[in-house]
Amino acid sequence: MTSSSEGTPPAGSRPRRPDTSHPPSPLPSRPPRRPGGGPSDSRPSYPPGPPPVNSPASVPGGSPRALRRRPPRFSAGSSPTFPAGRPEPRRVVVTGLGALSSIGTGTADFTAGLRAGRSGVSPITAFDTAGFAHANGCQVPDFDPHRLLRRIDPAEYGRAAQFSAAAARMAVVDAGLSPGDLRRVRCQISVGTTDGESYDLDRITETHLHRGPSAVTAQAARRIPAARLGIAVARELGLADVEILTIGTACSAGNYSIGNGLDAIRQGDADFALCGGADAFCRKTFAAFYRLGTIAPDCCRPFDTRRQGILTGEGAGLLLLESLDSALARGARIYAEVLGYGLNCDAHHPVAPEEESVARCLQLALDDAGVKHEEVDLISAHGTGTRANDVTESRAVRRVYGDSPPRTISLKSMLGHTMGAASALGAIACSLAITHGFIPPTINHRTTDPECAVDCVPNQAVDADLRIVQNNGLAFGGNNAAVVLGRYEGREL
Amino acid sequence: MQTTDLRDDHSTRTRDHRVTGVRDDRITEIVCDRLEIEPGEIAETDRFVEEHGADSLALIGVLAALEKEFRVTIDQNEMPRMAHLAGVRQVLAETAGW
Amino acid sequence: MNITAWSALSPYGHTAADFTTGVRQRRATAAPVPGAHGQLGCLVPLFEPRTALGRKGTRHMNRVTALAVTAVGAVLDHLDHTEGGGQRGLDTALVLGTTTGSVQSMTDFTRSSLTGERPYDVEPGVIPNSVMNCAAAQCAIRHRIQGPNTTLAAGRTAALLGLLYARRLLRAGRARSVLCGGAEEYTTARAWLEARSRAATPPPPAGAPRLPGEGPPPSAAAFALLGEGAAVLRLTPADMTTAAPPLATVLAVETRHTPEGTDPAATVRATVTEALARSGVAADDVWAATGTGLDPAETRALDALFSRQVCGQLPTLGLLLGDTGAASAALQLAAVVASAGQAPGGHAVITSVDGQGVAAAAVLRMGEGV
Repeated sequence: MTSSSEGTPPAGSRPRRPDTSHPPSPLPSRPPRRPGGGPSDSRPSYPPGPPPVNSPASVPGGSPRALRRRPPRFSAGSSPTFPAGRPEPRRVVVTGLGALSSIGTGTADFTAGLRAGRSGVSPITAFDTAGFAHANGCQVPDFDPHRLLRRIDPAEYGRAAQFSAAAARMAVVDAGLSPGDLRRVRCQISVGTTDGESYDLDRITETHLHRGPSAVTAQAARRIPAARLGIAVARELGLADVEILTIGTACSAGNYSIGNGLDAIRQGDADFALCGGADAFCRKTFAAFYRLGTIAPDCCRPFDTRRQGILTGEGAGLLLLESLDSALARGARIYAEVLGYGLNCDAHHPVAPEEESVARCLQLALDDAGVKHEEVDLISAHGTGTRANDVTESRAVRRVYGDSPPRTISLKSMLGHTMGAASALGAIACSLAITHGFIPPTINHRTTDPECAVDCVPNQAVDADLRIVQNNGLAFGGNNAAVVLGRYEGREL
Repeated sequence: MQTTDLRDDHSTRTRDHRVTGVRDDRITEIVCDRLEIEPGEIAETDRFVEEHGADSLALIGVLAALEKEFRVTIDQNEMPRMAHLAGVRQVLAETAGW
Repeated sequence: MNITAWSALSPYGHTAADFTTGVRQRRATAAPVPGAHGQLGCLVPLFEPRTALGRKGTRHMNRVTALAVTAVGAVLDHLDHTEGGGQRGLDTALVLGTTTGSVQSMTDFTRSSLTGERPYDVEPGVIPNSVMNCAAAQCAIRHRIQGPNTTLAAGRTAALLGLLYARRLLRAGRARSVLCGGAEEYTTARAWLEARSRAATPPPPAGAPRLPGEGPPPSAAAFALLGEGAAVLRLTPADMTTAAPPLATVLAVETRHTPEGTDPAATVRATVTEALARSGVAADDVWAATGTGLDPAETRALDALFSRQVCGQLPTLGLLLGDTGAASAALQLAAVVASAGQAPGGHAVITSVDGQGVAAAAVLRMGEGV
C-alpha cells in the first residue's frame, strides 16, 4: 500500500508547492527555474533568497572552498557566468545515501563493511562459469527487489534498473524525505552505467540460442533499453516534474552523474538531484576482462606488487543532493559538500588510460572545487588492481600532488569493480569517511608496488580527520571523471 | 549450391599444424592479420609495438587468435616475450610442447 | 545557446545536403533491407564503416560507431573550413545519444562466449564495441576531442536531453563548445529485439494491478519501421561570436515524465507549454511544430496545441525515415536548421517521446541570416 503522501499530482499540472498545513519537513518552495536559452541563457536567474547561511565569516572554521571559489574555466567573455550580485552559485550538499553492494546494503551496513574492511568476494553464481579457470566476483548477495521496491513491478525491469530504483529509494529515506516530498519540487535523476541491462540481454541471448527466438518474452525484451535505469527511479518514486538521464559513460559514469547533479542544483535546474550509478553482474563483461587477462584469480589487490587484476562486481550507489540552503532549512543531516568535479577524455586509446590526461582531469576537479592539492586529505582511487591502471593512476596522482600525495585507497579491493556504480559507491564511501572520521582500507594488501608508491592504508581502517577528499573514476574510452567532496563544517553533525 | 574448394577451407589448414612450415606461415598470417599489414612487410624480429604500431588490444588479439587456432592456453605473463614474430614462435612452441 | 553548425547521415544520404534535399522533398525511404528476407527498413544507403572511414582502425568498428564518427567528422571538417582550426582539443565537449549502444555487438559477443570452445574464446578487438560509450570514445580518439565526453542513453529523446546537458556544461564553463547529437544503427539484432518487445503479451489476470506505461506499448508503435542515422549539432554560448551567424538559437528545453495513471498526451502538452512559457514565445507565434510521428499520444498533443498548418510545415521524420532511435531528435533538430531559410527568425517546437513515459520539447528561434 502506498501512503497518502505518495499521492500523484494531476496530469499536466505543476507539482504542488509544499503545503504548509501538513509538511513532513520544511522544504524549499519550488524555485522558478531559470528561463531557457536565448538571450536569457546568459542571465540565469537564481532563486531569490538570503545569502548562504554559513558564510565563512559567520561560522567558525567555515568551508575552505567558499573563500576562493574559482570562476568557470571559460568565463571570460565566452560563456555565461553567474549573475552579478551573487558571486557564487548555490552550494550543494549530500544529504542522502543509497548503497547496494557486495559488502553491505543500506548506509549502516555499508559503513560497517567499509570500517571492517569486508571482502565482497564469492564464487560467481550469476551465470554458468564452466570453462573459466577461475571465476570469483563480488555479487550482491540475496538481492530481493520485492523487499526494497514499493511501486514498480520488478518483472518489468532488468536487474540494474532494480538496483538503481532500490538505491534511490534508500537514498531518499536516508535523507529524511518521502517520495511525496520529491514530487512537490523539480528533481533531476542521473544514473551512470557501463553495461545497462547486459545481464538481462545476456540471458536473452542464451534463451535465443538454446530455446529459439520465440522463447524470449516481450517482457524480457522490453527491459533492455538502458534509459530504464533512470526511468525506474522516477517510477519508483512517482515523479513527474523530473529530468531523467541515464549516462552510459562506462566505468566513470557514476562520477559523471554526480557532476551533472551538482551542476543541476548549482544552476537552479533542480531542487533535488538523485545521482550515482548502477550495474549488474554479467557474462559479457566478465568474459571480456577475462580475455584481456585482467581478472584476478582470487581477489583484487590494488597497488600491490603481486596484483593480478580486477574482480568484476555489481551494485548501485545513489546520492541525494540538494542546495545547502535547502538542507539547512529542513534541518537535514549533511554528510558532505560536493565541492566540484572535472571531466575530460584522453582521446587516445579504447582501453588504456593516459597518465597526462588523467592528471589533467584530477586538476580540473580541484580547480572546479577551488581547492589546492595540499588541502586534500584522501584520494579514493579508481584503483582497479590491474598492472596498467594502478601505475598510470598513481603516476597521474603524483603529477598533481607531488611526491607526497595524500593517502590513496582503492575500494575495489573490497567491492570489486562495480563498473558504472564504482565511482558512485566511491563517493558514498568518501561521504561516510568524512562524516565518521575514518579511512576505509585497501584490503588483500601485502607489499606495495614501488611503481605505485602510495600509502593505500593496507588492510585496516584508520581514524582520520578528513576535510577534503577526491574520488576518481576512469573508464574505457579514456572517459575520466573526478569529484571533490568536503566536510561541511557549518554545524555539528 | 556452390562447391567449396577444400584447400581454401580454414579447418583443413588447421589440421596441418604438425607440419612446421605450414605452422610458421600460419603464425605469420595471424600476426599480420592482427597488425593490419601484409606478410611481406614484417621481419622475424620487428617489434610489433614500436615498428608496426600495435596497441595492447592488438597484442591480446594476437594471443587470442593463436590460442584459438592452436588450441592452447598461453600464460599472459609471457606477453612481454611475444613482442616480435620470433618471440611468438618460441612462446608458442614452449606452450604447445612442439 | 546557439546552433552554429550541423551534420546529418540519414537514409537520405551521407551529407547534410542530401538530408536537406530529402527533407524538402519529403521523400519516404523505406526499402528492403539487404539480406533480410524482404524486411523493410530505412538505412543510410551504401554505408559501410570501411568505405566511410578507410581501412585503418576500422577492422572491428561497428556500424553505430562508424555513423557517429562520420557525423562528428563532418561537423569538424565544416568548422575547419569556416572557422579555421582549434575546434578540437580540451575545450570541446561531445554529448552523444544512444539507446543501448550496439545490441548487435553486445549479443554477438555474448554468443561467442556461449558457443566458443572455451567461454573466453571471444575477439579482444570487439570488446570496446560491447560497451555503450564506444561510439563517443571513438569520436574522441579519431577527432582528438578531449573535453567532457558523455554518452546519454535516452533513446529517441536523447538529443533533446543532450541540449539540457550541453547547456549545463556551457554555463559551468566546462567546455567552450559542445558537439551534441545522437546515433543509431540498423542491425538484425536491434530489429529483432524491437519486434520482440512489441510481441503480443498475454493480458494480466483480471483484477491484477498494472501500472500504466509498464505494459505493452500502444499498438500504433508496432507499425513503425526501423531507421538509422546520426546527426550532430555544434552548440556555442549565446554570447560567443562565431564566424557565421547562428543557424538557430535554442530558447528553451523541457522534459517531464508521465506519472502513473495519467495521459501521456497531457505530459507532452505540459512539456511544450512549459517550454513555450520559458522561451517567452506564444503558441500563436510558432511557425512549425514537429514530433517523432511514432507515438499517437504525442501527435494528439501537438494537434491540440497547434494548427494543422503549423504541424505540417516540416515533414514528420518518423513517417519518412522510420524510428531512428537515438538519432531521431538530432535529425529533427537538423531538419529545423535545414529549413530555417523558409522562415528566418521564426520559432519551431520540437518534441520527442521515448515510448517509456519521458517527453521532451525544445523551442528554437531560427537564424536571420540563413
